[in-house]
Amino acid sequence: MKTFFKLFAAQAKELLRDRMSLFWYIAFPVIFILIFGAIFSGGTNLNFEVGIAAESEGPVSQGIVQAFEAVESFTMHTGSREEELEALRAGNRSAVLVIPAAVEQLVSVPGGMPGQGASSSIAEPVKVEVLYDKGQQQTTSIVLSIVDQLLEGIEQQLTGKTRLLVADQKPVAAEQLRDIDFLLPGILAMAIMQLGLFGSFNIVSLREKKVLKSLGATPLPRVMLLGSEILVRVLLSLFQTLLIIIIGRLVFDVQVTGPWYQVIATVLLGSVTFISFGYLLTLFSKSEESGIGLVQLVQFPMMFFAGIFFPTTFMPDFLQPLVKIIPLTYLGDLLRHVMVSMPTEYPIVTSLLVLGGVTVVSVIGSVLLWRWE
Amino acid sequence: MTCIKVKDLKKSYGSLQAVDGISFEVRPGEIYGLLGPNGAGKTTTIEMLVGLRTRDSGTVDILGYDPQVAPEKVKSGIGVQLQSPAMFPRLTVLELVELFASFYQDPLPVDEVIEMVGLTEKKKAQSRKLSGGQMHRLAIALAIVSNGRIIFLDEPTTGLDPQARRNLWEVILGLKKSGKAVFLTTHYMDEAEKLCDWVAIVDQGRIIAEGHPETLIDEHFKERALEFEQPAYVNEKRLEKLTGVKKIVTDGDLVTLYTETVSQTIAELFDLAKETGQPVNDIAVRRSTLEDLFLKLTGRRIRE
Repeated sequence: MKTFFKLFAAQAKELLRDRMSLFWYIAFPVIFILIFGAIFSGGTNLNFEVGIAAESEGPVSQGIVQAFEAVESFTMHTGSREEELEALRAGNRSAVLVIPAAVEQLVSVPGGMPGQGASSSIAEPVKVEVLYDKGQQQTTSIVLSIVDQLLEGIEQQLTGKTRLLVADQKPVAAEQLRDIDFLLPGILAMAIMQLGLFGSFNIVSLREKKVLKSLGATPLPRVMLLGSEILVRVLLSLFQTLLIIIIGRLVFDVQVTGPWYQVIATVLLGSVTFISFGYLLTLFSKSEESGIGLVQLVQFPMMFFAGIFFPTTFMPDFLQPLVKIIPLTYLGDLLRHVMVSMPTEYPIVTSLLVLGGVTVVSVIGSVLLWRWE
Repeated sequence: MTCIKVKDLKKSYGSLQAVDGISFEVRPGEIYGLLGPNGAGKTTTIEMLVGLRTRDSGTVDILGYDPQVAPEKVKSGIGVQLQSPAMFPRLTVLELVELFASFYQDPLPVDEVIEMVGLTEKKKAQSRKLSGGQMHRLAIALAIVSNGRIIFLDEPTTGLDPQARRNLWEVILGLKKSGKAVFLTTHYMDEAEKLCDWVAIVDQGRIIAEGHPETLIDEHFKERALEFEQPAYVNEKRLEKLTGVKKIVTDGDLVTLYTETVSQTIAELFDLAKETGQPVNDIAVRRSTLEDLFLKLTGRRIRE
């Protein structure tokens, strides 16, 4: 334990005294946020074109249309069902809602006709059709969640019932989704990846300079060496997370809505994943220079195709398989979910399995292929 | 009682037989030197002994353990200094020695070790700011602080100035005095003569001579070495006929005659010079050294 502590302290000092690398690790994502934040924060919110076709012009239909028009992230288009469907096919709508005439019967008119009223509507709920392009998964899931919420609210108003059970975690962000909200978790994911991949090059440099060889002749177990190195990097990742969250909050008013332990857990998983993945990569490079080339080769596609800067749905179909094999995609997805409550694009279990799997494979690979020189 | 026992150790890299059947034993309180030119297999041997490299065949026993079977047992009982010293560049001398001390059960006091290698003034300096020689001494400090029963030193004085070398010799002799075994490699024959209780001369992966340095020299040389620069065209056959000459080795212009009758050989050499009209330059007479022994055994100088 004393050895581990000494080694940890040694590696932490080594890192903290290397001002250039430290600057690179910490300042780079910060600069990224500031630049991208400035570009995207000019009032342009994340916006969805939503079409609405009401079959009746009754008060309920109008009420619903008004409710949707009040949503900031939605630009509403009203038209006939056919017109709106045409626009959806042309890619000009994220989703189209069809409000059936039946909604008018939901309201019980005082002293109304028997057999018509609220009681019958409970037995047979009215279906509001929501049409969307199934190719645009991520956009759709955001839109659908907002639509769902709204309909729920409208229904409550109509029936005048207070709900008995209310989910405490309402996706607050959904109504106020701005580009920066999307961007910030993505940049954090990118920072975690870079810290992991480039940080592991410390080991290559130590190997190249034969420092590792000297350590290899001591009784120090390699697990301890790797462990303390990983711990240093993970702590740096946490610090970086804190910094990014603070800047997001102070400069761009990005609220972290998720519980802090989930954020920390996700950051930890992500940094362990990419640090160990980095170690695996280092074992395939002979020198520090060639290693950095290799990491660039891996990290650039990840940065651009993982949906860090924009939703992956913006990418053409032939790139989608690439998007799906990139581990960073899943880290970004998870972070967006836990930080700003954006609906996940992939099931959470899938993301956890992907990141966990990459970690396990990388750790086993690194230990098996370990070289002291 | 032995602390290192090596038998028929072999290692090849592809078609190159780096170590070709080496056997020896080292006892506590003994300084054992492996001498030879670069590429003779010294470093490969030391790395196999300390558990950094696997061997092809043969047996190795360090403090009762095989470094390939129980590397951690071996490593915790020894201190090792490897060639090309390098350390975490941004840690200070003190921090590094403390770090290495923490790897071992019963290390020597850190300050004492730093004092031994003469780095007290550089204690707070980051290792990347040290000179080559200081770095070298740091590497030796890291080996010594282990308080291991055997200290392995791979070319400990290469690149040091004469004063630093002599200081380091004192440190190594001090280790011996405290009962440790020291296993070192060097290509400085004078170093081996000064320090070693037992030397093994290696060439091309084999031990070609072995013994106490003085005994080894006496066994091979009754004669003295007569060294001079010779004009290229003086006939070697004429030199051979000089009285007392046992062997001639030429290395460019430099000729070494091994002779049992120094004064007579010199006189005849001058006569020969007069006769041919060519002067004999830079003549020197000296006792034979391990260097001469290497030359005699292999026909090559050790540093080529």
